Amino acid sequence: MKPTHVFQAEEIVAGYDNKTVIQGVSLAIPSNKISVIIGANACGKSTLIKTLSRLIKPISGKITLDGKLISKIPSKQLARILGLLPQSPIVPEGISVADLVGRGRFPHQSLLSGWTKKDYEAVAEAMRIMDITELANNNIDELSGGQRQRVWIAMALAQQTDILFLDEPTTFLDITYQIEILDLLTDLNRKHGTTIVMVLHDINLSARYADYIFALRKGKLIVEGEPSKVITSTLVKDIFGLDCLVIKDPVSGSPFTIPKGRYHVNDE
Amino acid sequence: MKNESIEFIMTGRRQRHRRWILVTSSLAVLSFILCCAMLLLGNTIYPVMDVIRALSGEQIQGASFAVNTIRLPRMLAGLFAGFAFGIAGNTFQTMLRNPLANPNVIGITTGSSAAAVFCIVILHTSGAIVSIASVIAGLATVVLIYILSRGNSFSIGRLILIGIGIQAMLGALISYLLLVGAEQDLPAAFRWLSGSLNGSEMHELPPLMLSVFICTPIVIMLGKHLSILELGEQSATSLGVNTNKTRIMLIVSSVCMISLATATTGPIAFVSFLSGPIAKRLVGVGFSNVIPAGLVGVNLVLAADLIGQFAFVARYPVGIITGIIGAPYLIFLLIRMNRRGEL
Repeated sequence: MKPTHVFQAEEIVAGYDNKTVIQGVSLAIPSNKISVIIGANACGKSTLIKTLSRLIKPISGKITLDGKLISKIPSKQLARILGLLPQSPIVPEGISVADLVGRGRFPHQSLLSGWTKKDYEAVAEAMRIMDITELANNNIDELSGGQRQRVWIAMALAQQTDILFLDEPTTFLDITYQIEILDLLTDLNRKHGTTIVMVLHDINLSARYADYIFALRKGKLIVEGEPSKVITSTLVKDIFGLDCLVIKDPVSGSPFTIPKGRYHVNDE
Repeated sequence: MKNESIEFIMTGRRQRHRRWILVTSSLAVLSFILCCAMLLLGNTIYPVMDVIRALSGEQIQGASFAVNTIRLPRMLAGLFAGFAFGIAGNTFQTMLRNPLANPNVIGITTGSSAAAVFCIVILHTSGAIVSIASVIAGLATVVLIYILSRGNSFSIGRLILIGIGIQAMLGALISYLLLVGAEQDLPAAFRWLSGSLNGSEMHELPPLMLSVFICTPIVIMLGKHLSILELGEQSATSLGVNTNKTRIMLIVSSVCMISLATATTGPIAFVSFLSGPIAKRLVGVGFSNVIPAGLVGVNLVLAADLIGQFAFVARYPVGIITGIIGAPYLIFLLIRMNRRGEL
């Protein structure tokens, strides 16, 4: 099982150039759990996850891992604890699946060495979890969108970090693949204790798969907690500006949001 | 099951590694053969033993002068310049993820060349000043392209177009300097416009050789970082690469090598452009492309120089031959990029 970590953000303000997107967010990531950040488009979800995973330097505020500022931890050392799957990763043309997954081993390798036994084990393990072992020697260009996404996650897994951030890992995927990816991530969390923090678009899938929810509105954290406690029609109205009915998901028992538009609403 | 999957991954990777070794050693052997050909072939073909004895310092009528004074410096200039162009071109292309983004197309070599022309043809200096000026001019060109192409957000298409513009401007500057300073000196003009190994002299080589010996290990050591940079800024950062520091180290090492190569042979057309993509085709993607790209550069330069010297009735400088090979590929890539809407 992965060790527990204390990962905290204190009053962070972050953004791009002169536009601040995150306006003072403080949070503590629950260790060894799955957290999901939800919010409307342009509320700063992606910026928040990029800031937490040190892709963006916060303008002010502190981000600490086990009490140390992440900006002070050597980048390779930090990369052994903290991983990120970006929203649109770039594929080098013509690379084989195994070699790409193997690049996730970078923080564990020295400058000139080839793959060690450990590297092979980690790559094989990551590919087994993502169920892409048989694709190992295929060219990445030949794969479907769903398969590619699994390869990317496998690369992040090969990095063997204790904490894994994922920025919309299910975007552009069919519903079947979305469920598959979320199940695989849940496996990872349950079996290995990996702390997972992700941004998801779908509020119902978020409510079902998250142990913990962070809800953002206009760059501020407005609610946090277990889905069953925090996802209510008031919250959905608050963050999405949408009228809705929240019922109990008959499959999982988690809160299920049914939107109410201007049409197709029964007047009973 | 567990061991089977490791075995499966290992087998594939070993196969790709074998291909890498096979291709790289073949390229090295071919380079060696071409180096020998450069020493053996010429106006007079001396017996092999005579060439070897001349190289080892014995005085042999005719052969000593032809081999030691003309052919050896020519061969060494081609060898080191080709290696430098190949490695530097590949570094830029991989780092910026676009084959068009190489020092030749975006004007870095033209910048170095312009500085060398200015020092040699106008100021009549030589030696260390030329080397220093060309390295500074190369780096200054990089900075200029970077500043001009920055805009609101980084775009590789914009960087390339601005680079091509700068390349054209600096090319015109070189023509002007040659017109003013070396009106009658056609060989000099050829060297500085498209690159030539004609008239290479032993005393010109040390700066280039030194830079190759120092910078190549740096680029090789950063080879793994380079392959991570290829995954984009975000993945590279989360994998623990200090992206700015790595990029600066790679750019400075590459620019040092090509600037000094340019100050020695002129900007041999398209070698830095072709080497990386050819090497990638040959060795595949999984392993470092640095050394194969350098060797492809050597082979391109030496083969093109031999073709230029002996294949036609008249003798052509190496840059004319590499230009003929490279120009169609440049046009092909521009058309492809345009079709994909990347320009």
